Amino acid sequence: MRVRDSLLAAVAILAAGGLLSLGLADYSLRLLNLSVISAVAVIGFNVAFGLAGLISLGHAAFVGMGAYTLAILTTKLGWSPWLAAPVGVAVTTLFAALIGYPLLRLRGHYLALATLGLNVSFTIVTANWIALTNGTNGISGVPPFAVAGLAIDDERRFLWLGLVALAVVAAAAVALQRSRHGRAMMAVRDDETAARMSGIDVTRTKVAALCLSAAAAGLAGVLFATHVRFVAPEDFNYAHSIVYLAMLIVGGEGTVVGAVIGAALLTFLPEWLRGLGDAYLAFFGLMMLVILIFLPTGLIGLVRMAARLRFRRGAVATPRGAP
Amino acid sequence: MADFIQLCVNGLALGSVYALAAIGFVIVYAATGVVNFAAGQFVMLGTFAGVGMITQGALPLGLGYGAALAAMALFGVLFFVLVYLPLRKSPVVTIIIGTVAIGIVMQNAVLLSFGSWPFRLPSPLDGIMLQIGGAMITAHAVMVVAVTALLIGLIWLLFYRTALGIGMRAVAQDVEAARLMGLPVNRLLALSWVLAAMLAGIAGLLLGPMWFADVNMGDPIALKAFAATIIGGFGSLPGAIAGGLFVGLAELLGASYVSSAYKDLIAFGAMILFLLVRPQGVFGERIQDRG
Repeated sequence: MRVRDSLLAAVAILAAGGLLSLGLADYSLRLLNLSVISAVAVIGFNVAFGLAGLISLGHAAFVGMGAYTLAILTTKLGWSPWLAAPVGVAVTTLFAALIGYPLLRLRGHYLALATLGLNVSFTIVTANWIALTNGTNGISGVPPFAVAGLAIDDERRFLWLGLVALAVVAAAAVALQRSRHGRAMMAVRDDETAARMSGIDVTRTKVAALCLSAAAAGLAGVLFATHVRFVAPEDFNYAHSIVYLAMLIVGGEGTVVGAVIGAALLTFLPEWLRGLGDAYLAFFGLMMLVILIFLPTGLIGLVRMAARLRFRRGAVATPRGAP
Repeated sequence: MADFIQLCVNGLALGSVYALAAIGFVIVYAATGVVNFAAGQFVMLGTFAGVGMITQGALPLGLGYGAALAAMALFGVLFFVLVYLPLRKSPVVTIIIGTVAIGIVMQNAVLLSFGSWPFRLPSPLDGIMLQIGGAMITAHAVMVVAVTALLIGLIWLLFYRTALGIGMRAVAQDVEAARLMGLPVNRLLALSWVLAAMLAGIAGLLLGPMWFADVNMGDPIALKAFAATIIGGFGSLPGAIAGGLFVGLAELLGASYVSSAYKDLIAFGAMILFLLVRPQGVFGERIQDRG
């Protein structure tokens, strides 16, 4: 069951992405790639926030950590991206583990403020540690991945790389959610005392959730750096953390599908609503607020509600219409 | 020495503004349990209320201040009805995200109505300089500190010497018990939002002449007010004041004596350190395990 669902998620992502890649123009492909990258980050964020209930406003710092590690290793030390990518993910995960132990004793708004402070500090450091990060000028000339001598440097090629990464992350996330560890995280989210009473190591579960969440974010950062080929502090400031949060809320927190839908929707929405101009962000905030008040389970909740209604109507109609 | 005095006075003035923003934040948190992530945008809105009335509306200063504060009071009521009431029963996380969302709406609504070009907000003491111990100080900076001190006194009187304020504290402590005692709970909760909005408005009017009125000014103020609240102690009024002054002084003294690039890292570093070592801050939160 667990394996089947994981495979299903992976195949669905590859098929949907593959189909889209046939019909889309280059600019839409670029947006599709960016939404794939965001989806990887948001699935990771869902592990911390949706499963374990850790409200983090600093997820973009993890994405930035992965992106900067890859950018620095490839441009300053000349590493291959294939070698730098796992190091980027590992560094991000290790960083999450290091800050996780002291930080995750905090709950609710304390954790939100601490992670927000962390994200702001990350931006200040990357903007000012010029010797390492080039400051606000950013690091340009990040090399693309290459497979058998073929550089993955155009949108269509990158899409397949991104889709494979997203499929793997989504499958892993679905498997996690259905596993003992995933259930432990949800138990911690719902009632910490009850979870502890039933023998769950609360601190370890939280730190594990943060580390897995950061690993996916690090991967998203690595993908971002090789896609855009340029990293700068502004790409990872706390406004991006809020966008990741919004993506999950709009899609439906606690679900992998919701994370993917939210990431895709909020990446394309500014394009579709280009007519709004400067009013887009005001609309974006209002939309978030309306969803929070009227649709707390996100778009996924709406789909489920519609499915249940149709099912009920069908159940009533069958006996009447049956011969 | 003259430089040091000048930096200290300016730091205290900036810190006073942060303290006012933090006090508004704390009053709302104590009364309603809402962690208002839009607190910085409240201050920004206060500055722009001033810009709308004084710079654009060409009202005389006194009348303009009054009109701006009346607008802020009205905004507090609107916020209570449109944002607080619908979200009141939601989990903490939802409320946090909700206030983040409304902050984005506020910032961009102001951007749409005033444009991205920064404005200058006049001060009644424009152009007047004072000489203290060889340092040249703007009279406005001194006024900011004085007005803040006066307001803190008034808030203390309100909360500890008037029936209204004591009622507000009762609601903050236990809503159900307050309701049973016959207190008009909803009206008192609304009043906390109005008070917070007006304090933020005053902070915005005082800050306007020190910085430029810019739609992006809300976030940096919110971050400093949060740092001030954590350092001083979440939910504590003396903590908000001490924390605000500390953050303001750290910002200006840090910029001159440590590093102008890393000046903000001092406040956030202190905030994270406090969260890790002493999450209850200097003055501590009385009600434990809230939120």
